[in-house]
Amino acid sequence: MSIIEASHLTKTYGKARGIIDVSFQVAEGEIFGFIGPNGAGKSTTIRLFLSLIYPTSGSATIFGKDCIKYGPELRQEIGYLPSDVFYYEGMKVIDLLTYSASFYNRDCTKRLHELAGIMELDLHRRIDDLSYGNKKKVGIVQGLLHQPKLLFLDEPTAGLDPLMQRKFFQLIRQENQRGVTVFFSSHILGEVQRLCSRVGIIKEGRIAEIADILTLQQNNYKRISVAGDNLDPAYFDMPGVSNLEHNNGTVHFFYKGDINTIMRKIGGITLSDVTIEEPTLEEIFMHYYE
Amino acid sequence: MNIFLRELKANLKSLLIWGGIVILFVVMGMAKFSAYAGNPEMLAILDDLPPAVLAAFNLNAFNLTTITGFFGVMYTYFALLLSIAAAMWGSDIITKEERDKTVEFALALPVTRGRLVTAKTLATLVNCIGLLFITWGAALATAAQYQPDSEFYRFLALCMLALFIVQMIFLAVGIFLGCAMRRYKQAGSLAVSLLLGTYFLFIISGLSEHLDFLKYFSPFHYFDAGVMLRESRLDMTSVGLSIGIVVVSMIGAYLTYARRDLYI
Repeated sequence: MSIIEASHLTKTYGKARGIIDVSFQVAEGEIFGFIGPNGAGKSTTIRLFLSLIYPTSGSATIFGKDCIKYGPELRQEIGYLPSDVFYYEGMKVIDLLTYSASFYNRDCTKRLHELAGIMELDLHRRIDDLSYGNKKKVGIVQGLLHQPKLLFLDEPTAGLDPLMQRKFFQLIRQENQRGVTVFFSSHILGEVQRLCSRVGIIKEGRIAEIADILTLQQNNYKRISVAGDNLDPAYFDMPGVSNLEHNNGTVHFFYKGDINTIMRKIGGITLSDVTIEEPTLEEIFMHYYE
Repeated sequence: MNIFLRELKANLKSLLIWGGIVILFVVMGMAKFSAYAGNPEMLAILDDLPPAVLAAFNLNAFNLTTITGFFGVMYTYFALLLSIAAAMWGSDIITKEERDKTVEFALALPVTRGRLVTAKTLATLVNCIGLLFITWGAALATAAQYQPDSEFYRFLALCMLALFIVQMIFLAVGIFLGCAMRRYKQAGSLAVSLLLGTYFLFIISGLSEHLDFLKYFSPFHYFDAGVMLRESRLDMTSVGLSIGIVVVSMIGAYLTYARRDLYI
């Protein structure tokens, strides 16, 4: 069963674009990466799932239930870490976390302290006095303390130092092993690549591609570099070739298509060196945005 | 219950500040009264003032040399103070979530928007009642030195009931504006402008008989202190009208807040 299902979700703000016709599904136990640059509509999509805002058209279900009609009930099982965390003034960390825990129909005390221990969070400081990174830690504990079955993470690592990022990823992996489904929005491709099994790429409000990370890397593109004397880049200008560059006697390009075609082409000239690699997710991503 | 308690705690400071303002106002007012008390020359001066001036300051209905009469004049200013507090509390308690960007946290929790509005409304209701009792207490304490008769106490109690209703009107309107307006920065100022607007309508409606119809647009006129003093009762039409405004505002608040996009 799909845990998240978006069908033709569209959100416009007056004339301004939010997202347009976004459809995808996230299966149970999956870590789904949602990538796109700032302003592509990542947060808008998540806020629609949490019914903080309502779609202009289309619909979304979570655990098979409409996320507006059953919003409060669904949110019992949803953890949310927003990209920027804001909490009430004048509260201590522990007050805020207990307040948050009081909304869930289960006892969260034990998990709350466990998580605070893992994230090295000082529970007795005032939230106002915390640094950005420490506020983010409060957000992480707050989003996980009720042991949700579904996590929405919106650019979760911003503000965390590398050590904390690693702990955070460990935590998310552990949650995932418990069966928690994770929706991970980010513009940092490295972390998506490390964590996610499948990704959706969003571009200017529309889904550009949804694929397994492996398929995305393997089946589509090859990054090819050839080196030799007097190479003419124009020689490689053929269908399927993109990002053709030439420097220091080496020609770099991406190729998508029948691998035999390009091999014959390469075989037709004399070379001193050739490398054929999987492109990084970053390069694939850049490709979608050109 | 958790939202209600948190809001009470968060708003306590504001209640104390408003309580201080009201106490200061009562003390200053009563200090002025000491000049009027049992002083017939003051009456003569007032009688010489043009009727429009008297009407504007709501002075013509009362004998300012008695504590009851003096309080009758003060009533309007209490109504103004308490309703400003109510309107601001009402709009602020809703809009501050969006202003402080905490709304994303508050409504990602498993609560309905209706439950949030209810808890917040109850918290501001407690604040309004608290401020009303502070006003009442301050009036009783400062009036005691003039040994008021039982009529004063009855009149004071009636005034407090009227003040409560006026508070409820502006609280409900404030909450409605807070819920309905996506441009949260304007909700508070619009609530207070509306309030001051209706207050001026109230003053203008007193100036000329031709403008009398304006009074229906001003909650400040619904419970005229002069009428309350003469008839020792509230005008039932006004009570009905007030309940109507409160009910419509609150229904509007729940409906609009449940349906609109939160401003994040």
